[in-house]
Amino acid sequence: MNRRLTRVDELKRDIPPGRDLWPAISAAIEADKAAAATPPVAARRRAAWLPVAGMAAAVGLVAIGVLIGLSFAPQVDTPPVANTPTYGSPEMMPAAYRNQRDALLIEVQAKLSSMPEVERKKVASSLATLRRSIDEIEAALGRDPANALLQELFVSSCQEEMRALTAVRDSGSQET
Amino acid sequence: MKADKVVEFDVALVERARRGDAKAFERLYRDHVGRVHGLCLRMTRNPDLAADCVQDAFIKAWKALPKFEARASFSTWLHRIAVNTVLEKRRGPSNAEIAVEDPTAHEEPTMTFDTPVEEEELEAAIESLPQGARDALVLCGVYGYEQSEAASMLGIAVGTCKAQLHRARGLLRDRLERGVR
Repeated sequence: MNRRLTRVDELKRDIPPGRDLWPAISAAIEADKAAAATPPVAARRRAAWLPVAGMAAAVGLVAIGVLIGLSFAPQVDTPPVANTPTYGSPEMMPAAYRNQRDALLIEVQAKLSSMPEVERKKVASSLATLRRSIDEIEAALGRDPANALLQELFVSSCQEEMRALTAVRDSGSQET
Repeated sequence: MKADKVVEFDVALVERARRGDAKAFERLYRDHVGRVHGLCLRMTRNPDLAADCVQDAFIKAWKALPKFEARASFSTWLHRIAVNTVLEKRRGPSNAEIAVEDPTAHEEPTMTFDTPVEEEELEAAIESLPQGARDALVLCGVYGYEQSEAASMLGIAVGTCKAQLHRARGLLRDRLERGVR
């Protein structure tokens, strides 16, 4: 029967799925319970956190490495190099952040092209490591979206990356 | 059953489920699946994708139960997980929308038509809305969430949510060819 409505909130809120989804959910729950019951649980949980903690440490170290490297890097003009690495996009961040980062990346690519080869490789590799770390955190967050610690880690890592990218972009201008 | 009784009942079931009682969680699933599915279906417009989202949302909810705070509404918490799951599944360059922020917009989430509209016609009009406007309308207009709650669920600013509701109202007015207040 096709009801006639005068308000949007009169629409049905409950629309049952066409098939029973419980068997698949139940199977996943049983698998989760079985995994959780495998001893030693505490050690397994610690182990699960180790990669994330490692990534967090890597983000900090790489960012510091980029900043220190740039402080001592000699600024020498070299011909532009076409194949400088590019980095993935942080899809979980707001559009304004993504736009700002995209604009910054263009400037950073130009800056990398003008760096001496050794220095360019070092900085590009550090930035790529930083991006990989963020991708790992983002993937972990995809599996556990409600995890406040991961959310915080993700945001601070993105901020760290923005600081590192800004430092790379501004590295030549400070000395001129 | 009255709303407060439902909440109390949920709390007891959630407590049992947190201790690993899958039967209690199944009861929660049976009680909430219709609403979660309705939300996912209206957001995705795709029955298969909606079913996947519902399934994933309940599995994530089971895993996240130890972090659920009993003073919060289980239903809202579950819907937040479901919305997050839909956003994750639809994430991609083609789905990127430019947010239109209008902090001056004052949007009433309740939408009333000056003449009655057939349910199917209204569902079709909502389905035809652009993603951002549809998300805001479904959460605020159909499911009764405050704009701030809906904005938080969708990961957008409250101003953007208001602007999307405003846009949804205008588009519904055009598509249904009747006044929408």
